[in-house]
Amino acid sequence: MSELKKGDKISLAIGGHITIIKELGRGGQGIVYLVDVNSQQMALKWYLTPPDDAFYQNLQHNVQQGAPSDAFLWPKYLTKKEKGSYGYVMDLRPSNYYEFGNYLLAKKSFKSFSAMLAAAMKICDGFMMLHRFGYSYQDLNDGNFFIEPTTGDVLICDNDNVMPQGEKSGIMGKARYMAPEVVAGGIPDKYSDRYSLSVILFMLFFANHPLEGAKVVACPCLTESFEKKFYGSEAVFIYDEKDKSNLPVRGVHQNVIRRWPIFPQLLKDTFREQFSQETLKNKNNRLIEQGWQKIIATIRDSLVICPICGEETFVDLTQSEYTCMNPNCAGKFKPAAILKLGLRDIPILPKSSLYIDNDNIPDAKVVRSQDDQNLLLIQNLSASPWIAETPSGKIKTVEANGFMPVKVGIKVSFGSGNKAEIIQ
Amino acid sequence: MSLLDEVVSVPRRTMVLFFVIDTSGSMMGNKIGAVNDAVVNVLPMLEEISATNPDAEIKVAALEFSSGTSWLYSEPKLASEFVWQDVTASGLTAFGEACTELSSKLSRSGFMKSASGSFAPAIILLSDGAPTDNYENGLAKLKCNNWFKAAIKIAIAIGDDADQNVLKEFTGNSEAVFTVHNIDALKQIIRVVAVTSSQIGSKSSTAGETTKQEQVVDEIKDAVDSIDGAEVATAVDSSSYKDDWD
Repeated sequence: MSELKKGDKISLAIGGHITIIKELGRGGQGIVYLVDVNSQQMALKWYLTPPDDAFYQNLQHNVQQGAPSDAFLWPKYLTKKEKGSYGYVMDLRPSNYYEFGNYLLAKKSFKSFSAMLAAAMKICDGFMMLHRFGYSYQDLNDGNFFIEPTTGDVLICDNDNVMPQGEKSGIMGKARYMAPEVVAGGIPDKYSDRYSLSVILFMLFFANHPLEGAKVVACPCLTESFEKKFYGSEAVFIYDEKDKSNLPVRGVHQNVIRRWPIFPQLLKDTFREQFSQETLKNKNNRLIEQGWQKIIATIRDSLVICPICGEETFVDLTQSEYTCMNPNCAGKFKPAAILKLGLRDIPILPKSSLYIDNDNIPDAKVVRSQDDQNLLLIQNLSASPWIAETPSGKIKTVEANGFMPVKVGIKVSFGSGNKAEIIQ
Repeated sequence: MSLLDEVVSVPRRTMVLFFVIDTSGSMMGNKIGAVNDAVVNVLPMLEEISATNPDAEIKVAALEFSSGTSWLYSEPKLASEFVWQDVTASGLTAFGEACTELSSKLSRSGFMKSASGSFAPAIILLSDGAPTDNYENGLAKLKCNNWFKAAIKIAIAIGDDADQNVLKEFTGNSEAVFTVHNIDALKQIIRVVAVTSSQIGSKSSTAGETTKQEQVVDEIKDAVDSIDGAEVATAVDSSSYKDDWD
């Protein structure tokens, strides 16, 4: 076991050295220190017991490749092997990001549903990029995600267990988050990552575990063999349509009981499908990250500001009149118009933010005209101009920060092939 | 108020960490002093592991045994609420009675009655001697207890007079017995064993074939390498040897 102390100097593999400032925290595998790297403060993860050479070489490879996306707190420098162990240097985690576990323990909560959806989108994007780079995550659990509660921005940490697909880091994730075939002893891969992604997303939205219902609570002592059953061979989704043996329990699974009814049907159907017996057992049925992103984009389209109470509400896009989900309001209202973007129907309501792509940055906002309170305008929040065609065929340019009216029949091109039309 | 403000904590299981401490006369002086000091210092660490853990909360229970047995508190307590009362040493080593007492509390009518369920407990046995009672019956009964069977079990042998065979019988595995030869090592190993077994015991188990007990033992073994005066108890496992050479 090798610990470092203030002032210790550690050499980097690329040359130069870092200096230990203080300990920031410790876990099962190692200690995280605040370090000075050329007058810049960064974090060093130092292994208490050095993992084997293959692990070192994998880290070296990951450092050279660089982070798949900005969602990752990725290893930036590797240290030399000295003082009985080694470690890697990464950026410091900003203090306004909190571990996902804190959200589960209700110590932190999302400031809005919009932030929650942004977090979901960002996690999907991170996984998509990771898999696109040919990696799989392997050790995925609630300790790996840090989330900013207001914006929903996400940082994915502990990326030392990221391995090329088909290889095994030797560090296995918690059964609660692992796919049934991995719980049974299989090797994690991108398919098992996708299962874990569904679990993380479910917990993000509903703050309970998708497989922990009556059946699991009834077990007085959750031994390892029971875990293998509940998360593996005998896993049952709490809202499984055919098997009602594992329903959530009132007084225990309060969050999911309260939230399940308010989320759009599409999201519930998707989880029912992803945790159905067929999909649990057949890894090829699992939704790929882009599939999840489409679902989340549609859910986000259905999130509007209720014009009556001013709170966020999900609306049923298949209806022409909406009902506010907040029990104190339950007001009824209609959209001013619909922005038809490919297969998506985005309701246009005052104060709505419109997301054209999946980058979590609103591309447009619906506002009232200063001159005419009855006229709604769409403001271009993107950096590039849009090209619009009026119902009579005139071509207009909507500059960045510029406005276009909400008028049925206007066609607009947002760039990157995204074309939409305002319909009633 | 937004619907998001009504969120409550996810239901957590409970993991009870048991300290079973030999307080017979031979523990008097430095040894019992070191135990008291080490446990007081490890409690805040357990509190931290518990506070940030969405899988389970950690509770602590302590049983001392000498001529008789006594629990420090009549129920397991959160580490944050567990005020350690220094134990003192005197009397004999009623290990069998301790096993019987532990077994009676390892039940839903005893200490394991958490409403949202439990993880298997972690049990740390500390002893410097050999049982002075007829311990076989008590230990045999304990070994039939399902909570005990599923538990993470680690024994710390203090000095060379500890009966390694009894400790091995208790843990069911010679590798789960660690021996210390000085006071400093004793303090360090109590910290390592308590923290490691709590960390692993209070989390959802690792996917794959390694058991929690094996993981705890492996991690403690790694740590023991760097503690002067601590060692894994038995290098040679001769349990398969049968005395039929007459």
